[in-house]
Amino acid sequence: MSNDVHQPQEILALPAPVPPTTEEAQTVTEPAPRKRRRSAPASGTLGRAIVITSGKGGVGKTTVTANLGAALADSGKRVVVVDADVGLRNLDVVMGLENRVRLHSLDVIEERCELDEALVRDRVRRSLMLLPAAQNRDKDEIEPEDMIDLIDELRDTFDIVLIDCPAGIEQGFRNAVVGAQEAIVVTTPEVSAVRDADRVAGLLPNDMPARLIINRVRPQLVKKGTMMSVDDVLEILRLDLVGVIPDDKEVIVATNRGNPVIDMTGSPTGQALRRIASRLLGEDVPIPDLTERKDWFSGVLSKLNFSRSRAAKG
Amino acid sequence: MKGNIFVVTSGKGGVGKTTTTANLGVALARLGKQVALVDADIGLRNLDLVLGLEKRIVYDVVDLAEGRCQPRQALIKDKRLPGLFLMPAAQTKDKESVSESQMARVVHTLGADFDAVLIDCPAGIEHGFRNAVAGADEAIVVTMPEVSAIRDADRVIGMLGTRRARLVVNRVRPDMVRTGDMLSVDDVAQILSREVLGVVPDDEEIIDTTNRGQPVSLDPSRRLSAIYFTMARRLLGENIPALELQDDGLWNRLRRIVVGQR
Repeated sequence: MSNDVHQPQEILALPAPVPPTTEEAQTVTEPAPRKRRRSAPASGTLGRAIVITSGKGGVGKTTVTANLGAALADSGKRVVVVDADVGLRNLDVVMGLENRVRLHSLDVIEERCELDEALVRDRVRRSLMLLPAAQNRDKDEIEPEDMIDLIDELRDTFDIVLIDCPAGIEQGFRNAVVGAQEAIVVTTPEVSAVRDADRVAGLLPNDMPARLIINRVRPQLVKKGTMMSVDDVLEILRLDLVGVIPDDKEVIVATNRGNPVIDMTGSPTGQALRRIASRLLGEDVPIPDLTERKDWFSGVLSKLNFSRSRAAKG
Repeated sequence: MKGNIFVVTSGKGGVGKTTTTANLGVALARLGKQVALVDADIGLRNLDLVLGLEKRIVYDVVDLAEGRCQPRQALIKDKRLPGLFLMPAAQTKDKESVSESQMARVVHTLGADFDAVLIDCPAGIEHGFRNAVAGADEAIVVTMPEVSAIRDADRVIGMLGTRRARLVVNRVRPDMVRTGDMLSVDDVAQILSREVLGVVPDDEEIIDTTNRGQPVSLDPSRRLSAIYFTMARRLLGENIPALELQDDGLWNRLRRIVVGQR
C-alpha cells in the first residue's frame, strides 16, 4: 500500500477544456486561464492537513516537518510535505532532494504541470513525497484560494499533508495556514521565540486546534536556571503540548547531509521526534522530563557524538 | 547621505539578526558613537526584548512613519549607555501598514542625526524585508555555516541591488569545523563571494543574555564582547582583520587583537 502513492492519472488530470455551447457561456469572459481549478470532487475520506508554524524563524520548522513526515511515513501513512516558503525554500535541502526538484507548487497552480508531476518522492521512504516551493517567485503570487485547492487536492491522495510555513506573519504565513485544519506551533525556550509563538497562536483561526512543540531544550541550561523550563513556556503559551525536543548538534550534521535525524540511532532528538509522530496519530506516549535525566543523558550523548564523529572520519 | 545606514538582514530567520543588531549597536555606542537601532519587524518585534527596553515603549516606528509623533518621542534612550537609542516596531500592526518610502524617510531622518543607524530586518523577503532595506546604504548579511542559511543569504544578497553587503558568519562551532561536520568561514565567504565583517562562535552565553535583555557586549569581560567590538570598528572603517575561525586558533587570535598589537 505504501508503494501506491500515485493515484491513477485520470483522477489527478484536469478535465479537458470543453468549448462553450450556450450563448450564455460565451458571454462570460473567461478569466486568464492560468489559475487552476480543482478536478474531481473528493472521493472517500480526506487526509489531515497540518501546518507547522512559529512566527520566529530558525526555531526548527523545516527540520520538524521533514522528520515528522519521515516518521509518519514509517507508521504506514501516505505523507506529503509541502514547502510553503516560496522564494526561500529549504525543505528540499533538508530532505536531500534539492537535485531532484524540477517543478514546484506555482507550476501546478498556474497549470504548467499536473500535481503528481511536481511531487518528488523521498529517496528512502516510498510513501513520503515533497511538493517543493518556487525559488524565484514571490509569496504573494499565490492566492489563498489556490492554496486551499492545492491542499484539498493533496488531501484526496494522502493521509497526512504537512505544510512547512515560512517565518513571519505576512502573506506567506496566511497562505500556509489557509488550507490546514490543524496547527503545530514550534518554539524554543527563548523569550523572543515564545513571544512570536504567542503572536502566531493568536493569528490562527479560532476553530483550528493548535499544539505546541518546544524545540532545542538544553536540560543543563534549564537546571542552571539560564534557560526557560517547559513549564515556564507552557505558562505563557497555554497550548496543548505535543512534544519536547532536546538540542543536539547532530541535527546540523544531519541537515547538512540531507538525512533525517530520526534515522540516527541513539539520537535523543530523533527519538523525541518519533514520539511526537506517534502522538499525532493518537497514541498515548508520555512526554519524558528531560531535566531529570540529565546525568546519563549528557554522558551518553557526548560519548555518542565522540564515537560517531570518529566513525565518520575513519 | 552619509552612508551610515545599515540594514541587518539574512533571509532565513533565527540566524541572529536581532542579536547582531543589538550587540553591534552596543559596541558602537561604547566606542562613543551616537547609534539608533530600528526594529523593522512590525508585528513580531523582538529587539526591545533583547535590549531589555520592552517596558518603555510609548510610540513606535509606525506612529513616526504616519506622523503621529516626532522622532525623539518614539526613540527610547538606553540608560546604560549614552548614545544608544531604540526605535521600536509596532506589535499589533501589519508590515503592510508602512510603505517603503515611509520607512526610507524615517531612517534618513535618523541618519542625519546619528553616527550610525542599524535596521533589524524581519526574516523572509516579503514586504517587511523591502521596507527594511528601502532606506539602507549598506547591508550586513548574517548567516550560519549551514546549507539552508547560506542558500537564503545568497537569495537575499541578490535582492540587495547595488548595495555593499558584508557577512557576519554566526554560530560557528570550531569543533565541528575541525571534524568536517560544519563548513568553515572561508567556505561560506567563498560561496557567497562577499567580504566577511565578523565571525561569531556559537556560545550559550547568548541565550542567557538575550533572555535577560542584557546584550553580551555590555560586559567587556564576556568572551563574545570583544568580537562585537572588532566588528563595530570594522564597520566604522578601521582596517583591522576580521577574526577567522580556523581550527583552534580563534581564542589566540582574539587575544592578540584584544591585547593590542594594533
